[in-house]
Amino acid sequence: MTISLAIDTSTSRTIVAIIDEGKVLFESFHEGATEHGFAITELVTKALAVCPQPEQVVVGMGPGPFTGLRVGITFARSFAMARDIPVIGICSLDAIAVEKSEYTVAVDARRKEIYWASYKDGVRVAGPSVNKPAEVVAFIFDVYPDMQKLVALSHSQNETEPMYLRRPDAVPTAERA
Amino acid sequence: MNQPIVLGIETSCDETAIGIVRGRTLLANVIASSVEEHARFGGVVPEIASRAHLEAMLPSIEKAVRNAQISLSDIDAVAVTAGPGLVGALLVGVASASGLAIGLGKPLYGVNHLAAHISVDYLTHDQPTDPTIALLVSGGHSSLLQVDDITSKITKLGATMDDAAGEAFDKISRVMGLGFPGGPAIDRTAQSGSASAIDFPRGLTTSNDWATRPYDFSFSGLKTAVARYLESTPDYKKGDVAASFQESIVDVLLLKSLAACKATGIDSLVIAGGVAANSRLRAVAEERCAKAGIRLRIPSPALCTDNGAMVAALGSLMVAAGRGPGPQAFDAESALQVERVAL
Repeated sequence: MTISLAIDTSTSRTIVAIIDEGKVLFESFHEGATEHGFAITELVTKALAVCPQPEQVVVGMGPGPFTGLRVGITFARSFAMARDIPVIGICSLDAIAVEKSEYTVAVDARRKEIYWASYKDGVRVAGPSVNKPAEVVAFIFDVYPDMQKLVALSHSQNETEPMYLRRPDAVPTAERA
Repeated sequence: MNQPIVLGIETSCDETAIGIVRGRTLLANVIASSVEEHARFGGVVPEIASRAHLEAMLPSIEKAVRNAQISLSDIDAVAVTAGPGLVGALLVGVASASGLAIGLGKPLYGVNHLAAHISVDYLTHDQPTDPTIALLVSGGHSSLLQVDDITSKITKLGATMDDAAGEAFDKISRVMGLGFPGGPAIDRTAQSGSASAIDFPRGLTTSNDWATRPYDFSFSGLKTAVARYLESTPDYKKGDVAASFQESIVDVLLLKSLAACKATGIDSLVIAGGVAANSRLRAVAEERCAKAGIRLRIPSPALCTDNGAMVAALGSLMVAAGRGPGPQAFDAESALQVERVAL
């Protein structure tokens, strides 16, 4: 039985939970798209008061707005290193729980675009990608990763790199007008 | 009592830097720079820097711990640059430091990047330097400070009103096709030229400026003057332009620093920040301070540019001074004022 510290900062929320094989021992979130740095420390401190010795860290690797996303990933990695426990990365969209056999989920990608992925019978069949909303059919919006599902996926998945899906905005000097 | 071991993390710009000190002794100083990734853009691209920080963070911490010949659990406190700097870049360091501190169950110090630049000097001296005047010059900052206590009392006497000194080096280097970063490129090119070849303007040094803003800097007029000179002199000598441009900056920085020493009666000057690695600044500073009877301290060039040792050093000085660690949960503050030495 593995006790997991679960973290996701791929949305405007900082979500932290302690999950013991499907049982939620602690779960809390903070709403604030520019407050992940502050919130992660507060929430994890509370989580550790409930369960001081998690045995692994499971973290959402996005896709999501970059700055917040990195907060969760770097915190998770550093905490895991300090405790000498494993850290497992999960595609955050995969962790959104929807009671349907076929669906598409999407989260805000800023700049009038969305990050999205489609699922059928529990398997991701398209995405993750970033597009304008009009280019994606019938997606479910305003949803957040479910920490139980995030942890459940740690048995079958380990994403090691953040899912940015976009290149940094920058134009080389030589190409400028 | 054993000296505390402090690990410092610095990610305010394009260096992912980890330093470890025991008291005032430097145990490790690891720097992973993304500067080469920015070169073709002619300046630091924040998103590229932030991505590089995330990638380099854990390997850098591991390397620093290995170099220091300690284990992570030996660390007594973690210090991190909380600002000023690029917010996305800072946040990678803050989140990592927080994860480490909570994971280890050790206190976390969120410190000021500018104060850290000055405090690195303390690693090389037994006696405290303060009170001192400090000239802080880098790609992002140019300030003249009065340091009464490095852990708690820093007063800003003046600062640049436009470009930072290092920024002016970058821009002129780009116009002259010398590459990025501009500081080392201009320094190198200037070796073959004459500092008195061209009389470039000295910003904010009229008698009116001395009366109203004696410790502020301005480099935009100089930049324009150099650009105009280059346009009107197609066969210009790169060495002469680089040396004369550099001389103008060095001259103004030191004129104002020494004036601050004189006005405050403080006979000590610390020069810190990336531009403090400039060979001409170091040489002229030695000369003028010796003449004025001012004790000069400049960290070794490797400790002038952004590094983790300076953050660890300031953290260690805070611990030694008995200062508490402040709030454990905080966000990066991109515009953190120098007066706030720590959060």
